Amino acid sequence: MELFIQQLVSGISIGAIYSLLAVGYALVYSVYNFTNWAFDGFMAFGAFMAFTGITSLFMPFWLAALFSIILTVILSVGTEKLAYSPLRARKAPRLFMMISAMGVNLATVNIINLIYGGVFRKFPIDTLQPIFIKGVSIGRMDLMAGGISFGVLALLWVFLYRTKWGLGIRASSIDIMTASLMGINNNAVAIVVFAVTGVLSSVAGVFYGIKYAVFPMMGIVTIKAMIASIVGGLGSLPAAILGSMILGILETMVSGYISSTYRDLFSFLFLIIILLFFPNGLMGKSSGEKL
Amino acid sequence: MTEKMPMLDIQDLSVYYGGICALNQVSLHVNEGEIVSVIGANGAGKSTLMKTIVAVKSFTSGKIMFQGQPLKKEAHDVIKDGITLSPEGRRIFSPLSVRENLMAGAYTRNDRHEIEATMEEVFTLFPRLKERINQRGGTLSGGEQQMLAVGRALMSKPKMLMLDEPSLGLAPIVINLMFETIVRLNKEMGLTILLVEQNASIALSVCQRAYVLKTGTINMEGTGQELLHDKRVMESYLGIAK
Repeated sequence: MELFIQQLVSGISIGAIYSLLAVGYALVYSVYNFTNWAFDGFMAFGAFMAFTGITSLFMPFWLAALFSIILTVILSVGTEKLAYSPLRARKAPRLFMMISAMGVNLATVNIINLIYGGVFRKFPIDTLQPIFIKGVSIGRMDLMAGGISFGVLALLWVFLYRTKWGLGIRASSIDIMTASLMGINNNAVAIVVFAVTGVLSSVAGVFYGIKYAVFPMMGIVTIKAMIASIVGGLGSLPAAILGSMILGILETMVSGYISSTYRDLFSFLFLIIILLFFPNGLMGKSSGEKL
Repeated sequence: MTEKMPMLDIQDLSVYYGGICALNQVSLHVNEGEIVSVIGANGAGKSTLMKTIVAVKSFTSGKIMFQGQPLKKEAHDVIKDGITLSPEGRRIFSPLSVRENLMAGAYTRNDRHEIEATMEEVFTLFPRLKERINQRGGTLSGGEQQMLAVGRALMSKPKMLMLDEPSLGLAPIVINLMFETIVRLNKEMGLTILLVEQNASIALSVCQRAYVLKTGTINMEGTGQELLHDKRVMESYLGIAK
């Protein structure tokens, strides 16, 4: 029973990190209809910037996290301005956007590799003692990662569903041409969307780095976020969160009760089974609502 | 009284899609307070004309002046100058509620009280929308969606309202209601309206002046009544043989 609760808490926290990534994908996909593969490079970049902030610039953790968020937002918005926006202006097919995103990703990951080397590093933060409740040990870092991730998602929800900017983004995700007829500036929407994905990837990168390790290829975990958003239902934010939580808990349970070697096997098996019975994902609608 | 400057003045407008000419040297104008109709068959260039006026489509040559100023280059700036288009096929944001659709229409405005006041005016015109305020746009009937599309366009408080095929896909009784409302908007609120229609008889009967667009060029122009009784218009667009 102790093991179950420990794994559950750990699963919720990793699920929360997956949620940040899955929501980042879903947001870009819902507005621009392409998979932003550059996202995994951004995640690694976010983790490395926080790492550098602490080790080389001697910042406290919170300042390093803020430093990482700001730089990742700049990278994400810069990518939109330099790589995606010119393609959209030329009405390029969305496949080109995806290839462009892959290029940005390769460049980001390899530049990080060149500067920092490919080794695995421990995130430079003191390991806090776990809390013991009735014999169950609960990692403080898990609590923090879960809490802050859910906090970020809640803020994003308020932004999207309770503000004028959010309405503009949702309207653009449904019909970008009609949105511009309403006076919604497509370029401004793009900047906001990519700034938000920058924040999400940085926070996810930092917490993932704390939980596992910091290394240039760490962004490969975003494939899990893709699985999560497909399991939930592609393009929908609540579905992305649902899929992420299920996947996170499933993985930690497999690691705890079977073996961590088989963890990814179960993730992909789970994806296949879900798609066999729910081709649109658990909450997926065949069409219509996207965000 | 001296001749007033037209609100919208288009001169020798040409628009191409790749190498294909969609509009060729089109000139037309809309005076303040008028309803002007542009009629024409499928593919005559009516929607291209509308899209060009709101800067969704760029033009190759010619001039578009609105209130004496050249047209802005971006759609979201054109609406700030006071031109709002209710697009062809309604293009409701179907997952959003009726209220959210209307709020999206008011995107360029900031004063909450004024926006609420405009929304009340829209509800006076279309009481049905108030009953459906929390329903998703996509669940409305065709007629209600057209009301929502027009209501959404009115939310920006336009100086000139443009309607692209407001009769499209609607039952005859609903079309009549829609055009009664269009006339009310013009008569009671003094709104200037430019509309394009395939349904020539209704478009000509509500307007002060009209243009006939045929394969990208203005073929005829005149008052609505003149064109309604014109032999060529009757044969080609009204289905009346003489």
